[in-house]
Amino acid sequence: MIENLIDGPLWYFSLAVFCIGVLWQLVTIIFASRKQDLSLARSSSTSGALKTVFSRFVPHKEMTSKIGIQLVAGYLFHLGLFALLFFAAPHVIFLEQNLLGFGWAPLPHWAFIIAAQAAFLGLIILWLRRMLHPVSRLISTLDDHIVAILTFVVMLTGCFALLESSTGLRLLHRFSVELWLIYFPFSALMHTFTFIPSRAFTGAWFGRRGIDA
Amino acid sequence: MNIQTLLLLVGLLLPQLSLADGPPKQNNFPDGVSSQSLGADLWREVRQRDLQSSGVSQVKGVDSGILINAHGDQWARFRTSKLTTYGSIALAAMFGLVFLFYVIRGKIGIEGGFSGNMVQRFTDYQRIAHWTLAIVFLFLAITGLILLLGRPLLIPLFGKGVFSILASASKEGHNLFGPLFLVSLLMMLFSYVSRNIYEKGDLTWLLRLGGSIGDGHVSTGYFNMGEKIWYWIVILIGLVVALSGLILVSPNFGQGRVIMELSHITHTIGALALIVFSVAHIYLGWIGSEGAMEGMKTGYVDASWADAHHDRWGKECRDQGLVISAEEYARLQGKNPAVEVATEQGK
Repeated sequence: MIENLIDGPLWYFSLAVFCIGVLWQLVTIIFASRKQDLSLARSSSTSGALKTVFSRFVPHKEMTSKIGIQLVAGYLFHLGLFALLFFAAPHVIFLEQNLLGFGWAPLPHWAFIIAAQAAFLGLIILWLRRMLHPVSRLISTLDDHIVAILTFVVMLTGCFALLESSTGLRLLHRFSVELWLIYFPFSALMHTFTFIPSRAFTGAWFGRRGIDA
Repeated sequence: MNIQTLLLLVGLLLPQLSLADGPPKQNNFPDGVSSQSLGADLWREVRQRDLQSSGVSQVKGVDSGILINAHGDQWARFRTSKLTTYGSIALAAMFGLVFLFYVIRGKIGIEGGFSGNMVQRFTDYQRIAHWTLAIVFLFLAITGLILLLGRPLLIPLFGKGVFSILASASKEGHNLFGPLFLVSLLMMLFSYVSRNIYEKGDLTWLLRLGGSIGDGHVSTGYFNMGEKIWYWIVILIGLVVALSGLILVSPNFGQGRVIMELSHITHTIGALALIVFSVAHIYLGWIGSEGAMEGMKTGYVDASWADAHHDRWGKECRDQGLVISAEEYARLQGKNPAVEVATEQGK
């Protein structure tokens, strides 16, 4: 009964909420009304956008010593999560058989395990930094904590189900993924899709005004 | 090992044994009955009762020439009887001791109460290192105890079905989080090592058990000798546990069964020691000593707490002007100083 629900209707429902929600959010942002920029262009907004998209991957020199641990943990978590989400053998097979109809070469098992460990370590350190640093703690919202905990639970249940020997553990992982997908469009997780457009928008604005930032 | 391999080995061993040892041995029993045990020598050899010896096998791999690993039985018996029994007793005894200590001593407060003035004890990085290690350690301790004690303790409670799921999840979680323990241990090593070197006065603290023997308080610096011992226990036993765990989790590097068994025993005894000691550490840091947890939560401790527990360090801080007011502390924590100070005074 529960197995049928999690593998069937709940999976399609969560997928629909995720797709429609993400699309809706992106469309809303893209078509949001903005004042027309009447200023004289001093430089290219396109080059400004491109520059900002890439330059923001590295922090300013002045900031590096202060945010060293977030920088390392941030990259560990995001690269680790990306690798295990799209290159873990069980995920590649799942995507091929259930969604896309085609697959790609997965990571070897040892690399997948290292990616998962990097992601776990990064997430734990990032969440601790959020909780322990007074400024980070103050500017953190309930949503930030839910996102961190939910992502951790998804990863943890995935780790529990690694052996692929128990239906219960597989269902637990899938159920947590479904909750994550449903929550995704309404949360800070949307930065997955918005961080590049957001950087590009700011960069284009700066570029047009000739601001070197 | 399948039956064909077993038969093949028996076939290969039989003629060798008969050639090496001559005719089969005659067993004479006290009642005059004699029997010619054709297979006794063979099975003694197979069972490796006299000495571990290796045969010949087409299978290439570590220990592939050993038909039966005699040490395996000893290891399994040691694990199921002694490790689980003594491990449970040690854990229960520590919980009992801590409870007894709480009943007798209660919460150790600060004479004269808190001053409200604060001094920074730990940096952000030190606290992150500590809590990362704590989270990873607790996860490994829980999953490890499920694997060690689950059979006798959890199967009667939840049944075999639930336990098999729990054990499978614990094994995967434990293996995946294990290497993170080593990383967080190294973070801990580098962030605290300079404060945990032996210094003058530490031996006095140890001989007088932190003031429990003799008159009054024993003067200490940033960390007392008890804290330093705990730190080095965590680092050294932690390294042994982490490295033996890596041997266990990577069986494809050529280590044989005996090394794996020894690693398992070392890993379990070391981990049990860490778990047992950590019960006392958690009690003292969280419940037993008033104001101690504040240091690991915010990075700051009350100046009176510093004077009471680490007087030499407290004096150093005052001499260097590192003590900040309650208002300044509230501001640093992003709180309204007026409200916070009024609340503190109202308590």
